[in-house]
Amino acid sequence: MHLWAETKELELLEEKFSEIKLEKAENFTSIIVKKENLLDILTFLKDELDYRMFIDLTAVDYYPKNPRFMCVYILFSPEKRKRIAVKCWADNDSIPSVIYLWKGAKWAEREVYDLFGIRFEGHKNLVRMFLWEGYKHHPLRKDFPKEGIQEVYLPSLNLRPDEIPAHNYTPYHTYVPSMEELEKTQKSRLEKKSQIVLNWGPLHPGTHGTIWFLFDMEGETIKNCEIILGQLHRGIEKLAEDLTYTQIIPYTDRMDYISALCSQVAYVNTVERLLGVEPPQKAKWIRTMMCELQRINSHLLWLGTYALDLGALTIFLYAFREREKIMDIIEGIAGIRLNSTYIRIGGVSKDLPEGAIDVIKHFLNDFPEKLDEYETILTKNRIWLRRNLNIGIVTEDQVYQYGLTGVVARSAGVPYDIRMIQPTDAYDKVDFEIPLGKVGDCYDRYLIRIEEMRQSIKIIKQCVAEIENLKDDRYISTENPYVLPTLNEVFSSIESMVKDFNLRIYGEQAPEGEIYMSGENPRGELGFYIVSRGDGKPYRIKIRSGAFYNLQIFPELIKGRTVADAVALLGSLDPVVGETDR
Amino acid sequence: MVRIKYVERPELTNRERILFVDFIKGMKITLKNLMKKTVTTAFPFEKLTPPKRFRGTHAHRVKNGKEPPSFKVIEKFMDIEFGESRCVACYMCMQACPVPFLFNIEAIQLPDGRKKVVRFDMNLLNCMYCGLCTEACPVDCLIMTDIYETASYHRASCVLHIDDMKKRSIDFDRRRYGEPDRIWIDDDQRSKLWGQIKWS
Amino acid sequence: MELLGTVIGVTVKSLIFIIVMFLAAAYLTLLERKFAGHVQQRPGPLHVGPHGFLQPIADALKVLTKEDLVPDSVDKVLFYMASLLAFVPAIMILAVVPFGEPFTVFGLEIKPYITDLNIGVLLALAFGSLAIYGVIFAGWASNSKYPMIGGLRKAAVLIGYEVALGFAMVGPIMQAGSFSLREIVEAQSGMWFIIPNILAFVVIIFAILAETGRTPFDVQEAEAELVGGYITEYTGMKFGLFPLAEWYIATFVLSAIAVILFFGGWQPLPLMGWLPIPDIVWFFIKVFLLFMFFLWVHWTLPRYRVDQITELAWKVMLPLALANILVVALWIIFIG
Repeated sequence: MHLWAETKELELLEEKFSEIKLEKAENFTSIIVKKENLLDILTFLKDELDYRMFIDLTAVDYYPKNPRFMCVYILFSPEKRKRIAVKCWADNDSIPSVIYLWKGAKWAEREVYDLFGIRFEGHKNLVRMFLWEGYKHHPLRKDFPKEGIQEVYLPSLNLRPDEIPAHNYTPYHTYVPSMEELEKTQKSRLEKKSQIVLNWGPLHPGTHGTIWFLFDMEGETIKNCEIILGQLHRGIEKLAEDLTYTQIIPYTDRMDYISALCSQVAYVNTVERLLGVEPPQKAKWIRTMMCELQRINSHLLWLGTYALDLGALTIFLYAFREREKIMDIIEGIAGIRLNSTYIRIGGVSKDLPEGAIDVIKHFLNDFPEKLDEYETILTKNRIWLRRNLNIGIVTEDQVYQYGLTGVVARSAGVPYDIRMIQPTDAYDKVDFEIPLGKVGDCYDRYLIRIEEMRQSIKIIKQCVAEIENLKDDRYISTENPYVLPTLNEVFSSIESMVKDFNLRIYGEQAPEGEIYMSGENPRGELGFYIVSRGDGKPYRIKIRSGAFYNLQIFPELIKGRTVADAVALLGSLDPVVGETDR
Repeated sequence: MVRIKYVERPELTNRERILFVDFIKGMKITLKNLMKKTVTTAFPFEKLTPPKRFRGTHAHRVKNGKEPPSFKVIEKFMDIEFGESRCVACYMCMQACPVPFLFNIEAIQLPDGRKKVVRFDMNLLNCMYCGLCTEACPVDCLIMTDIYETASYHRASCVLHIDDMKKRSIDFDRRRYGEPDRIWIDDDQRSKLWGQIKWS
Repeated sequence: MELLGTVIGVTVKSLIFIIVMFLAAAYLTLLERKFAGHVQQRPGPLHVGPHGFLQPIADALKVLTKEDLVPDSVDKVLFYMASLLAFVPAIMILAVVPFGEPFTVFGLEIKPYITDLNIGVLLALAFGSLAIYGVIFAGWASNSKYPMIGGLRKAAVLIGYEVALGFAMVGPIMQAGSFSLREIVEAQSGMWFIIPNILAFVVIIFAILAETGRTPFDVQEAEAELVGGYITEYTGMKFGLFPLAEWYIATFVLSAIAVILFFGGWQPLPLMGWLPIPDIVWFFIKVFLLFMFFLWVHWTLPRYRVDQITELAWKVMLPLALANILVVALWIIFIG
């Protein structure tokens, strides 16, 4: 499905601005502009050519070239359904800020400043995003080593000599923040204008993970809110620069640990498009089925914790009882319940075992009644309605400005679903409906997620019917030179063993180029922007996480509401900290 | 075919408001669940059997006559007795592992030109249990068993060495080698949660 | 002599009541945990003793031997007094609750109640209102933001529902013609007071749920919002007293009062008067059924926001209670 703009559509742009360069590859259309014209070109693209929706803003470090940083802006046009990328070299490590065009750029620019050190002129509040105030380095630069700069001697980590297990252990450690630095960060992010400043988090039973909120409150009403992220920042993008494409797969399912299979499928689809690998039919159907099972899993967890936060304690355990069943299915097929590294480039790692289809059919018979039970307890309950109606209303304009995706965008009435816009795997062969809301409040998001669970059941039924009748039993296309062979092939033929050795030592030698592709996570659009320079390890991976951009609208929507509404709103935006912080 | 559908927002009628019908329906569901049997497996007195593909602690298969054809090709370069681990020191597991410094493998060259593995340490404190190393081993030596209770009091005992990996695989194969590749074994603990499944 | 006999009798009865109430409250925790467990399809406490029967004793020992941390910056006097003030009024209501008719054993006449005041209902309401002080002291003395917000919220809720509770009780008092709880039970020998007072019964159910802090009105236990509310800084036995007092003892005692006011106290269920069951047992059966109803509501419904609770109290519950008084007055004129 061609999602990138064609050159002939950009003729208007070429007429008006003469100094730009258009590059059209099969998977990426980009316009390289100079820093002086950047804001004019972006305004023209947004207003005249209708590329209204902000998808991502990132930077790539081309050390030791000068200028070394290049900023990449990815935009989307909802009417034409096309994407486009704008690239600009940041001379002197600074570049004009685009927050007046898209408000969603506020956090994206802070993240680029934090990790690269590029200054954005015109940004009102350029502070660090993930790291603390007072940290001297910028980690994603190419001259910052992967192990970090080990300068601090931490005596608590020094064990007795017979207790040290790893043979690369050193008693010196990278710099960790002290309490004073954390307090300085807290004070500098929010200035106190009203009665009290309440710290909601980072260790709190109600925030879904370690997010740190600062509320400036007058009585019970919140006047201002700031979010400090970074408590779970593990630096996956930096680690990925030293791993082959197959070795990154276990890391992708630790980002959004609740919907691990969906993240793996999105990543593997991107890499397959970059390498030009086509998985076999059965693998596509299995991937779609597992993705939808994982979507039900994730929405059940959301339902359980959302009901728990709002007081209905029994729904939490009912939802977990159903989740146990799904995790049993995933354990029987992949091996581990949560971080199942099941998808490989070119297909899936193992075929479905005997009995898997029977178990899935049994689950499909059972589940719709349970879903009706949860709806009976909650949907028409007057307490539930009073807690959810007209709270956190998202408008269509905010969807385009902030780059909101997933259920949050669909509740505002914007039909943005990657399964419909760029269908991969078997999504173009199944028949389903996408629920949309009209008002955009928390109650709409609740109804949409319940309806999505029912639609997932419909998709899985079609996948099961198709898999049972499929004649071709291949689950990974090992004839492709980029795909790792299966164990049986390695045991029986020398060529496969040699191919296995080569691919594992040197990595999949991807062609030079770049690609941006995304998949529909239960939380939003999970996109991967991969820059490859021709060897087996990616030069730069940027993970565009839906939960990060969705969380950005929280301070806007919470102004003037109480702490109890903050709980409901946070639950309905559904962030997972592994994905917001990566 | 993908279609768009708008969700309906139900309204409470007046009769439902006065007679608390929404509360009563919800409470009926909880009462129904009160009468059902519990689905809990009382660990550690009752345990579920892990499925065949479960990714637990690692083990080394030994040379016992059931090796794949690739082993016979590489065997000429190695000095492996019957009953010793099949490892051919190809370092593929170390290459495939996404975590640096987890494996510590050393092999020496004997005077007659053959190699022998003297050290194979796996630091399981760093392991992600992803299984990429088992898919890389060309002689079906490194496998993952169904043992998941590996807590201990010292960090050093979380590092696996080649002797205990050998013993673990002999025990695992004795218990579960002949099992077919089914999704799981249907014991009574599983049927507490699932009920009766119609197997085809 | 007579005075000494009465004093000794009252002391012995009070001691028996208090000890039995403690044991009953401890076993009510087990009942709640098993009930909550089975509603959620899990067994609840299972291993300590057969089917978890010794679990309350294990819990009591644990809470008594835990380290009692008192933070530096609290107001010490109010901190200690708050836990007492939450707990003592709940037990004191037992002083006016009658459990049955006086009966004779070995020639002695035993009255199964401590006193029979002729203003029993007023005293029960007054003791219940003292519990608000415990909440406010705990929220203030903890000298921290979360307890302060929690204490203020709870106090606002309690004040609204005390008023509704008081007005709802007027209906049965009018019909019985006296404030004494024993006489109210005896006035129900013809027909229980639930039938004309149905609106007051609805108000009392909501008021008891709010007074004792159970969902849908448990702004206190809203862990997601306030960690622990006003009990955040408490540890050890002082912590153990708060839920014991609110959730178990107060619910039990208030259900006892509700049973006396609406369901005929210790009178047998209609059409079952021929069973050879003594009065006290009938009373306990009814109180346990009402207690289980409260548990059932707790473990099903979600939670209201605090401004919605106070809105409900003043705009819905109070008018309903006043309407009930009108209905009862008309009933007395035309029928009673």
